[in-house]
Amino acid sequence: MKQTNKPSMSRVLRRRETFSAYLFLLPSLIFFIGFVIIPMVLCLYTSFFDSKLNANTPDVFVGFANYVELWRDPVFKKALVNTLVIVVVSVPTVAAFSLWVASAIYKMKDWMLSAFRCIFYLPVVTGSVAVTVVWKWMYNNYYGIFNYVLKGVGAIDNNINWLGNPSTALWCIIIILFTTSVGQPIVLYVSALGNVDASLVEAANVDGANNLQSFWKVKWPSIMPTTLYIIVITTINSFQCFALIQLLTSGGPNNATQTVMYYIYYTAFKLYRFGYGNAMGIILAIFIAVLSAFQFWLAKEK
Amino acid sequence: MATLQLKNIKKIYEGGVEAVHSFNLDIADKEFIVLVGPSGCGKSTTLRMIAGLEEISEGELYIGDKLVNEVEPKDRDIAMVFQSYALYPYMTVYENMSFALKLRHLPKDEIDQRVRWAAEVLDITKYLDRKPKALSGGQRQRVAIGRAIVREPKVFLMDEPLSNLDAKLRNQMRAEIIKLRKKVNTTFIYVTHDQTEAMTLGDRIVIMKDGWIMQIGTPQEVFDHPANIFVAGFIGMPQMNFFDGELAKNGEKYQLTVNGCPVEIGESLQQALKEKDVPSKKVIVGCRPEHIELSSADNALKATVDVSEMMGSEIHLHLNCEGKDIVIRVPSTKLSAEHRGGFEFGTDLKFAFPADLIHLFDPETENNLI
Repeated sequence: MKQTNKPSMSRVLRRRETFSAYLFLLPSLIFFIGFVIIPMVLCLYTSFFDSKLNANTPDVFVGFANYVELWRDPVFKKALVNTLVIVVVSVPTVAAFSLWVASAIYKMKDWMLSAFRCIFYLPVVTGSVAVTVVWKWMYNNYYGIFNYVLKGVGAIDNNINWLGNPSTALWCIIIILFTTSVGQPIVLYVSALGNVDASLVEAANVDGANNLQSFWKVKWPSIMPTTLYIIVITTINSFQCFALIQLLTSGGPNNATQTVMYYIYYTAFKLYRFGYGNAMGIILAIFIAVLSAFQFWLAKEK
Repeated sequence: MATLQLKNIKKIYEGGVEAVHSFNLDIADKEFIVLVGPSGCGKSTTLRMIAGLEEISEGELYIGDKLVNEVEPKDRDIAMVFQSYALYPYMTVYENMSFALKLRHLPKDEIDQRVRWAAEVLDITKYLDRKPKALSGGQRQRVAIGRAIVREPKVFLMDEPLSNLDAKLRNQMRAEIIKLRKKVNTTFIYVTHDQTEAMTLGDRIVIMKDGWIMQIGTPQEVFDHPANIFVAGFIGMPQMNFFDGELAKNGEKYQLTVNGCPVEIGESLQQALKEKDVPSKKVIVGCRPEHIELSSADNALKATVDVSEMMGSEIHLHLNCEGKDIVIRVPSTKLSAEHRGGFEFGTDLKFAFPADLIHLFDPETENNLI
């Protein structure tokens, strides 16, 4: 008799089950195709046109002109560099900080663990507008708490215009992004560390490993899938940093906080150059895809 | 020297739960000690305290002459085989076995030599490049043991290492451990809930219950002279049968009756009772299933057959003796041809105790009277 790994179900039953499965999937599939796939295809299509998305001015096919213009646009280059700085700084910092916090709290008593998780997760669940308004107040040039405290302890003589100064503005954005990004990785790491097989750690201790060695040799490989997920989602979130910029600086001063995402919004919805904006979107998507693929490859190699 | 001394060791968990009470044991160099008992008796906790994986709440633990209560596991010079094997899943068998040696910065040649020696001893050389997930349960078990023996530790700890294996493999590995012990020749402490493993492996057995030591002795001692009803019931398969009896001192002689039938007491037991000056009292009489004999004597005890299990070379008879369930083992060769396949349900039988092979326990303290 022929052996198969599949459950021995008749073809009719299997077809019926597949049909039911697709029926259950249908609402999400319609939503996914209508609001993700079609816009993505339209985005790619429009990026080859000089499009105003206006019934009175027809789209004009321009080929790769939008893409060529991108590489000559100093604002886009600046936005791309700023976005990469945000990604390069925030991704490892968020991953390392959340791992550090999770390592410190995951063995605590339940109520303490819950309290810490709540504290770090609060900025995630609080509306980004509310969080940003509070930060805007803290960074304020005249009555912000940072200037107040730093002046109080004598660290500075004159108020610093945190968001108005090109050398500090981007770092201020990165700090806010950091505080709103660490919540989920901490929760994920706490769970991952709690799931590391305790007998492996004990075996390493008996084998002669100190805490650091048992962390790198036993815990770290065990939490690698979680690390990969955290790095990928933080990378994507950092690339797509938009709300903070819009609410705090609108890309200023002098494009010091200009990011690709904000520049796409500005080009498309302020200048009504949808074709050009979509070309930027495609470039951003390629960057995210390539970087994520590289991260997956790296994790697999390790 | 790898002697161990456990002095009044206690384990008290948060909330005051005492898992191990005043554990005292001296272990000689190169001795094979087995801690055995039912689940929750504190045997694994004791082993983990020796390993340094659990804090010792009270008492002192010496390895050699050194007090090691506050010494980290890595500095105790012990190796441990875990119940779950605890092989590092991301390392090959070779890397698993060499991990501890690398941490000790041994020369590469020596590491290689030791790993290959251990692999040869355990017959796992051909799996050295494999990851643990590509091995069977028995092979993983060997790797776990290999990882421990390459260390050449002072003390070898094993926490129920065979419990995840099937019965056939368990028997095979048990024999392997006996052979391994001769090759490794160091102090072993072995935890198990399986009395067969305890009896076959240990030089001495420590039988535990609810955190207390019930008896320490050689396999022969604990089998022949169980300290109390728990040990008597725990060691031996099927377990010892117990009957309510009446012990009467009649001048120089003791007389025993069970269910109104007189039971003969052997000379050595008579002597021991006399020396201890045991008064007339109610007792619990214990007799192992393999020692009870079918009898046709008039004053033998009566029972009816509930279940008859044909085991091949012998028959296990589950009998009902005045409302009490008892088991006896009867070699097939001692039965007539008609009964070699077993007995019918409800068959009336009579049985007797051999005079020297009964055990008498105090019903109140449950301790052996002798």
